[in-house]
Amino acid sequence: MFGWIVLGLVVLVVLYAIATYNGLVAGKNQVLAGWKQIDVQLKRRYDLIPNLVEVAKDYMGYEQETLQKVIAARNTAMAATTPAAAGAAEAQLSGALGKFFALAESYPDLKANDNVRTLMEELTSTENKIAFARQHYNDSAMTQNNRIEQFPSNIVARMGGFGPHEYFEVPETEKAPVKVDLR
Amino acid sequence: MTDAGQGGGSGPWGDRSAAAAADPEATVFAPMPSRATAATGIASTDFIGAAARNRRNTWVLVSVMIAIGAVLGYLLGATIQAGEGDPRFNPFASGLGFGFALFMIAVSLIWTLIAMRFGARIVLSLSGAKEVSQEEAPQLHNVVEEMAIAAGLPKPKVAIIETDALNAFATGMSTDKAAVAVTRGLLATLNREELQAVVGHEMGHVLNLDMRYGTAVGVYVGLIALVADGILRTMRFASLGRSRSSSGKGNGLQAILMIILLVFAIIAPIAAKFVQMAISRQREYLADATSVKLTRNSVAMISALEKLGASTVPFDKANRATQHLFIVNPFRDFSAKASALMSTHPPLAERIERLRNLKG
Repeated sequence: MFGWIVLGLVVLVVLYAIATYNGLVAGKNQVLAGWKQIDVQLKRRYDLIPNLVEVAKDYMGYEQETLQKVIAARNTAMAATTPAAAGAAEAQLSGALGKFFALAESYPDLKANDNVRTLMEELTSTENKIAFARQHYNDSAMTQNNRIEQFPSNIVARMGGFGPHEYFEVPETEKAPVKVDLR
Repeated sequence: MTDAGQGGGSGPWGDRSAAAAADPEATVFAPMPSRATAATGIASTDFIGAAARNRRNTWVLVSVMIAIGAVLGYLLGATIQAGEGDPRFNPFASGLGFGFALFMIAVSLIWTLIAMRFGARIVLSLSGAKEVSQEEAPQLHNVVEEMAIAAGLPKPKVAIIETDALNAFATGMSTDKAAVAVTRGLLATLNREELQAVVGHEMGHVLNLDMRYGTAVGVYVGLIALVADGILRTMRFASLGRSRSSSGKGNGLQAILMIILLVFAIIAPIAAKFVQMAISRQREYLADATSVKLTRNSVAMISALEKLGASTVPFDKANRATQHLFIVNPFRDFSAKASALMSTHPPLAERIERLRNLKG
C-alpha cells in the first residue's frame, strides 16, 4: 500500500517535470520568435524609407538636409554590426523620421499626395509594429522569467539550463514626447 | 547553470546605454507618447489574474449549463418511466432518466463540435461581413496586424460590414483561424488610435478564446430551450388525456415528477439564458482591459467607446443570434436598460468607468 503511494507520487512529480520542461521550451521559443519579429519590422522600415524620401524630394525642396539625415541614419542603422552601434543608430533613425513627419505636416501638397499618404501610413504602422513587437517580446520574456524564478518550476528550469531573458529597455530619449521645431 | 540573456545583447536595438548616448538634440519620434505613462499604471493592474479568473468562471458556468441540461434530461426520462407503473421504480435511480441525461450531454457535445467547425463562417455570413484585401483597406489591415503582433498571435482575417452604424466583432474558434470585422461607419468615424483600441478589443476576444466558450455556451442554451419547449408542449396534451387514465393506477409519484419537470422546464431555459448573458458581460470587460494591455492606451479605448455610444445610426444587419459578438450591443433599445440581467453587454458608462480606474 505504502509502495503504491510512493510510486504514485513519483509518477506525479515526473509528469509535472515533463510538463514544466515543455512549457519552458515553448516559452523560450516564444521569446526568441518575439525577438525575430522586431528584426522583421526593422527591415521593413529600411525598405520603405528610400521610397518615401524619393517622393518627398519634389515637395520639400528647402528641407534637403532633413531628407539627407533620414537617409544617412537609415544607412548607418542598416550597416551597424555591434548591438551598441545598432541601438544608437536606430535611435538616430527614429529621431530623423520623427522630424521628417513633423515637417511634412507643413507641406499641404505633400500631405495630399496619395503616394506619400500611403507611405506615411506604412511607416507609421511599421513604427507601431516595432513598438508592439518589443512590447510582446518584453511580455513573453517576463512570463518566461517568472517561470524560471518561481518555485517549483525554478527547479526544472535549473536542471534544464534555462537562463533568464534580458528585457528590451526603451531608450530614455524615446520616452520623451515629440519635439516639433517648425523654425 | 544560467546563461544570461538569450539573444538579449545581440539584437537590432542594442542596450540602453548605447541608445542613450545618441544625439540628445535630435527630435524624437514616439508613435504613441501616451504609452510610456499609461504603462506604469497598467503594471499595477492584474490582467493575467483577471484572464485566469475569467476562464475558470467560464468553465464553472459551462459545467452549470451541462448540469441543467442533464437534470432536465433525467427528469424527463424519470417521468416517462414512472408512467409505466413499475412498482419497483425508484425516482432517484431511473434507468431511462440516466439514459436521457447522457443523451443530452452527448448531443450538446456533438453540437458544440459542429459549431466550432463551422461557427466562424456562419457568423461572418450572417452579419454580412465581406473579407477585404490589403489593397482595399490598407490602414485597417495594418492596425489589425499591429494588434496581432502585440498579442503575439497570427494575423486574423479582416472583413468590413457595409453599414454606417458603428460596430465591430471578432469570430473564430481558435487563435489561428480568427477573423475581425468592423463596419464602414467605424472606419470613417474613428481616428487611427481609436480604431486600434477597438481592434485591440476584438483581438482580446480572440486571445481569450471567447468565441469558443461563447459558442459552447450558446449551444447549451439552445438545447435546453429546445428540450424544455418540447416538454411543455407535450405536457399540455398529456395532462388532459392521461390524468384520468392514470388516476386508476394511483401513481402519485409520476404526478410529483410531472410537477417538478414542469417547474424545471419553465425555469431551466431562463436560468440558462441568465448564465449566458452573465458570461457575455464579463467577457466585454475583459476584452476592454485586454485592449488597453495591448495598446497601452486607455484614453483611445475610452474615446472610442464614447463615440460608439454617441452614435445613433441603427444597425440593420444585426440579429439576436449574433448580438453578443459585437463590441457594443447593436440593439440600442436594449442597451438603454443594459444593467438588466438579460443584456449581453454591460452599460457603456460602466465600461468607461472601469477603464478610467485601470489608469489609476
